[in-house]
Amino acid sequence: MSTSAIVFMAGSWTFVLGLMFWSFSKLLKDQKHFDPDGLGPAVPPEPAETERGAKRS
Amino acid sequence: MASNGGGSSNEAWGSRIGLILAMAGNAVGLGNFLRFPRQAAANGGGSFMITYFIALLLLGIPLMWIEWGIGRHGGQYRKGHIPGMFAAIWKHPAAKYVGAVGLVVPLVVMIYYTYIESWTAAFAWFSLTKDYWGHTTQEGMIAYLQSFQSIPAEGAPVYHHEYTPYAFFIGTLFINIFVLSKGISGGIEKLAKIGMPILFVFAIILAGVVLFLPAQPGIGATPWQGLEFIYKPDYSRLGEPGVWLASAGQIFFTLSVGMCTLTAYASYLSKKDDITLNGIATAATNETAEVVLGGTIAIPAAVTFFGVTGAMAIAQSGSFNLGFATMPVVFQQLPFGNLLGVAWFGLLFFAGITSSVAMLTPITAFFREEFGFKRESVAWSLGALCLVFGLMHVHWLQHGVLDEWDYWAGTFGLVVVAVLEVIIFMWIFTPAKAWESMHQGADIRIPQIFKFIMTYVTPIYLLFILGWWGWVDALPILLNEKTAGGGPVNPADTPYITLARAIIVLFAIVAVVLIKMAWVRNKYDDRKGFALADHTGEAA
Repeated sequence: MSTSAIVFMAGSWTFVLGLMFWSFSKLLKDQKHFDPDGLGPAVPPEPAETERGAKRS
Repeated sequence: MASNGGGSSNEAWGSRIGLILAMAGNAVGLGNFLRFPRQAAANGGGSFMITYFIALLLLGIPLMWIEWGIGRHGGQYRKGHIPGMFAAIWKHPAAKYVGAVGLVVPLVVMIYYTYIESWTAAFAWFSLTKDYWGHTTQEGMIAYLQSFQSIPAEGAPVYHHEYTPYAFFIGTLFINIFVLSKGISGGIEKLAKIGMPILFVFAIILAGVVLFLPAQPGIGATPWQGLEFIYKPDYSRLGEPGVWLASAGQIFFTLSVGMCTLTAYASYLSKKDDITLNGIATAATNETAEVVLGGTIAIPAAVTFFGVTGAMAIAQSGSFNLGFATMPVVFQQLPFGNLLGVAWFGLLFFAGITSSVAMLTPITAFFREEFGFKRESVAWSLGALCLVFGLMHVHWLQHGVLDEWDYWAGTFGLVVVAVLEVIIFMWIFTPAKAWESMHQGADIRIPQIFKFIMTYVTPIYLLFILGWWGWVDALPILLNEKTAGGGPVNPADTPYITLARAIIVLFAIVAVVLIKMAWVRNKYDDRKGFALADHTGEAA
């Protein structure tokens, strides 16, 4: 493979894989905002990141 | 069951991972593994990838968030369908009628998409039983495919009974309707939890096998030359509008935006549930399936066995020839080839079915929410409708009816829906309210630049695509100057093409009438909006 093709392939793969691993690691770590049964989570939910930001400001 | 104020039809997702797998399953479809590599190879390789990622950032991801936002907002008023979602945002009598397109497009696409999906089920079976073994040339496999589709060339041998495509279509449709009848958590979520891991396992196995294929005698090409074929940048192509439109189109189709399925799925969430992180996770899963896995299987395999020139000719002859003729030729020359064939067509089948079950969700929600019908009754009634019109495609494939529906609903219709969505959510609802709505319960804050992109760049980009395609494709197709498949018009096919268009128009008229009936039946006031689903008595 030519260097330019390797660069494009590596860049493309890094971008999509990085985005997937970042989003899933964040998602699996923060099971805060999913409450489909309406009963509430086992522990009180933390404020959303955006809500925390709003309070700070 | 949802009792938290969100969710339409008293249904809900059972788990967050189930929701994301279902959303990703909806997005990951046949296009990820057949259309993407062909488009990349035909549009400048690395140059296509540059325009592809620009389209992803300016069009794909913003539209994903907009659709999740519209859907969840509609769900707060127990509206899992676009007419209701639009009416919840835009308090104008026209809103619900504009939303009729959101019932017609997914229904029409589902009917012909299930037929194509049935080919993958059939070829998985033919691979397992080695039915096509012995057809070791590209031409031989194309003849085999055409025999299965009951459109053999004149004088060509026939390998299948006439009823074979009908049987596989009916079986595939039955599975789709069965899953749909079991509901969101009991059917669609379970299918995604089973189907998506299988899809990824099959794709990883196939990508691994393809990457280590040895160079073939007399050909001398390696799979890495196939990757070079996809990724080698041809910078001269960056100035061509066609490359930008091809990549924008691919982003559009691959993420299933405009199909009204993301909105329907998101309507089963409450305002306490995150949609920003879920949205980006779904898009990233789809992109991984497309860029990393989709690009590593079909084209590199074709290059290894047919050389760069041969693979280019195959790619230009169409995605179906690549998937249903080239790949079986390759499998016949590999150890455990029939099992690899099962993996390939099984992968395509799961990619297809996790998308097609989503397509009837909006219209199912409409009948359940507005007319109070039971889910099972709606699902099986829609199944009967899909069967009748699907048989039309099986029977008249050679007359271009499938291409006609694919163009007007599966191509042009998607862009029309997306334009309406972005205008209603970002302009009529106002950017400030849309932004606030998307961030309710959000686990991540969307970078502020996307507010500008969603408000101005995405709609302009979409209107440009709509205008360009309208001028270059839609008008000549409508005037019968060329077919939806791209070839010259055969006068003998004109009555079939006219009938195919008339059926879409009929669907649209019926949708408008049903919407009117629903609004009268439920005494909705267009100017006041709907009551919140959590019985607070507040108006929208």
